[in-house]
Amino acid sequence: MLTVTRVPPPSPLQWVSLLTAAFLVLPTGYITYVAVTAAPAVWTRLWSTRIPELLGNTLSLAVSVALTTFVLGVSLAWITVRYEFPGRRMWEWALALPLAMPTYVLAYVYAHLIGMGGPAEQWWQMVLGPDARLPSPQSFVGVTIIMSLDTFPFVYLLVRGALQNLNISFEEVARACGISPWVTLRRVTLPLIRPAMAAGLALVVLYVISDFGAVSLLRYQTLTYAVYQQMTSRYDHTAASILSLLLVIMAIVFLATERWFRQRSRFYQTSGRYRRSTRQHAGLLGTALLTGYVVLVFAAAFGIPAAMLIQWSIDAILQGALDARFLGFIWNSTFLAALAACGAVIIGLPLAYLASRRPTRLNIACLQAAYAGYALPGPVAALAVLVLFTHFAPALYGTVVVLIIAYILHFLPVGLQSMEPALQQITPNVEEVARTLGCTTRHMLRRVTLPLVRNGFIAAWVLMFLQTMKELPATLLLRPVGFDTLAIRVWLEASEEYYQLAAPAALLIVLLSLPALMLLVSNDWRGHAQEGAR
Amino acid sequence: MSSPVEARRMAVFPRTLYVLTLLLALSVLGPWPLLTAEAGDKLVVYSGRAERLIKPVLDEFQAKSGIQIELLSSGTTELVNRLQAEGDHTPADVFLTNDAGSLEHARELKLLRPMNMREVERAIPSQFRAADNSWIGLSGRFWIVVYNTNLVKPEQIKSLLDLGQPQWKDKIAIPNSGSEYLQAGVSVIKTTFGDDRTKQFLQGLKTNAGSQVYQKSSQIVDAVAKGQVAAGIVNHYYIYRHLAAQPTAPIAAVMTDQQEGGMGAIMNVTGIGVTRASKHVESAKLLIEFLVAQAGQKLFADLDKEYPLHPDVKADPALVDRRSFRAALVPLAKLAELREPTLTLIEQVGLR
Repeated sequence: MLTVTRVPPPSPLQWVSLLTAAFLVLPTGYITYVAVTAAPAVWTRLWSTRIPELLGNTLSLAVSVALTTFVLGVSLAWITVRYEFPGRRMWEWALALPLAMPTYVLAYVYAHLIGMGGPAEQWWQMVLGPDARLPSPQSFVGVTIIMSLDTFPFVYLLVRGALQNLNISFEEVARACGISPWVTLRRVTLPLIRPAMAAGLALVVLYVISDFGAVSLLRYQTLTYAVYQQMTSRYDHTAASILSLLLVIMAIVFLATERWFRQRSRFYQTSGRYRRSTRQHAGLLGTALLTGYVVLVFAAAFGIPAAMLIQWSIDAILQGALDARFLGFIWNSTFLAALAACGAVIIGLPLAYLASRRPTRLNIACLQAAYAGYALPGPVAALAVLVLFTHFAPALYGTVVVLIIAYILHFLPVGLQSMEPALQQITPNVEEVARTLGCTTRHMLRRVTLPLVRNGFIAAWVLMFLQTMKELPATLLLRPVGFDTLAIRVWLEASEEYYQLAAPAALLIVLLSLPALMLLVSNDWRGHAQEGAR
Repeated sequence: MSSPVEARRMAVFPRTLYVLTLLLALSVLGPWPLLTAEAGDKLVVYSGRAERLIKPVLDEFQAKSGIQIELLSSGTTELVNRLQAEGDHTPADVFLTNDAGSLEHARELKLLRPMNMREVERAIPSQFRAADNSWIGLSGRFWIVVYNTNLVKPEQIKSLLDLGQPQWKDKIAIPNSGSEYLQAGVSVIKTTFGDDRTKQFLQGLKTNAGSQVYQKSSQIVDAVAKGQVAAGIVNHYYIYRHLAAQPTAPIAAVMTDQQEGGMGAIMNVTGIGVTRASKHVESAKLLIEFLVAQAGQKLFADLDKEYPLHPDVKADPALVDRRSFRAALVPLAKLAELREPTLTLIEQVGLR
């Protein structure tokens, strides 16, 4: 028995993971093939006209959004975990709400509010005279702020989770040894939450470089936007494929860096002696400042846009925009998102498990392959899926299956980002003990591993659910006839500037995302797991 | 391992995973209720036109004929690409869109079916149809200059090409180079004035517009109305749509290039074609008959403030009288073959 468990035969899990990876890599492979076999003239033309500008724009946006979300996310996580202030419990989950707000909605609300002739500018001009101008939302700074407001919850949630799970004893030991609070922070706390920060930032950067809705509404030229333009203006997808390939390379380089960061710091929680940190009071002024900061970020990222949507929705509903068809849209959106998230968790599990438990070169390569899909811009992923299906499985084409596969391809990395750290936090010892006690792989997974990683998996599911709910370009290209989702409704109306008419659907996306978000941030299951561990 | 152990393992396999797998299996195996309906007798319309501007007409047809319609709205080129990728498996029966070049391209790809319909030949002049009637124009639109009446006097703009001049620096807004209208417009200019002047014009446009490059014509009209820019190039009906919402907006249209020997205003049409793979050709014919008949023409064109193509149907009175200006002479069907060289030119200039 012992020998069998010590030297496991090539497990079926490995096969599953290999097959999945091969499948996930197909679209990227297709794009690469088209790009590499393109005529050199196309390459030189793109290099001399568009590529330098696009690369510069995309990279600088990714860096600036990453820095902004880092500051916002880490500071907010720190405040909500380590300090006590009025309404803390409410703000704690309220700060995750921007995840429910599609970036393109945030972009169009702000384009309206602070754009030229918008309410904010009128007010500004009343105060400062008729020639005063607000910074344009259609600028580098504007795009950075809007994207950061929408994506900082990735960092916030992951860092907050890490801080909550962090064993305060480590810090106490450091302090007891006479180390100053700053050094403790730098040498003990920050390194311990570094994997979470890296994972959060990775999500942000991947989101930014693959975002299409917001950059197109704000007219900021990134690679993804250019790919979409190429795809919607040309019959031949060579140029789009070349630009996509650049995106994929960019994402891979970036993910490799992130992985390297994480690899160098591997921590295992010892749940036996876990102690939660206690919350401090920051004094009157401090509390006021903290609360003010939290409220400000929340208002900018969610409060104001949501209020705007509600106001528009009321107008639109009074105009009779809400009809029975909406029930269908709601059902389509939720069901699709739920299915895609379930599918991705199931598909992602073997990949994440093998890569973190048996990090052989092959297993890690399989995992990396899955990440390729996220950098593939939505429209390109959709196109590749479409071509592959019409060639090899025409019977399935035009069904929701195709759409779900595109979603899984595109969003699996989001899920893996939180499944992996969850798996990494369990000590291999625990599993080894389970195995020496005679558990089979499946047994061990069920009795030991899964209960321990449940939180990470719920987070993965919810993140993928939320993302799918908002997804636009792939849905546009692959939706079956007569199958509109809420996101499609928003797009159909908003892209024709009927903002009011787009508002009810946008608001519904937000509302439907709320239960999932609650699940993600509620302390119940997290506390529960810890109670159980103690 | 004996079977009882196997069975126990199965029994204890986490419940949640079961539920997940079941849900996934449902999606793969279970026939999607909406999909089974799709395979039936519905007439599937792929439309590159804004849904709000086509649905009322289709609803009217549905009510009159009893033929159920399923509508898929998307971008024009996206739909051509989708039709091509779908090939014989396409669920689409009818393709309706805003650009003659795209329709002609779909014809060249053999995605559309030649039609022999007397009603069409009677109602729509031949310059607005494909030679074999695989696509049929339904309404006309013009690419014009919209200007802010507080900032610009109409006599400052005689020709579209004026906007490439240095005095318009930072004062104009243009659509992005992905827009089918822009491509069609540039094709017409290129045919009329040749490569060099077109290139010069585009270079001027690029410099003058700077970052004021928009995805949508409606955004351009909005920018002009707010005085963010002095003028912009758009399809004519966006102006009327904006004025309908904000009657006091300081905007007006110039029909350009009307001078003696000038190019004439750049025209494009919204058209319709039946797909080659369609299994509902008779229903599709009924739809076309409905749209080219006088009542249908009026309904279709007025909804978007376009010009009906039926010679006996009058345009909305708010529009500039169609008889008061000339259209450019480049045949619509030529737009398809002109597109590729035009795109090369646009890319050489590096328009966004």
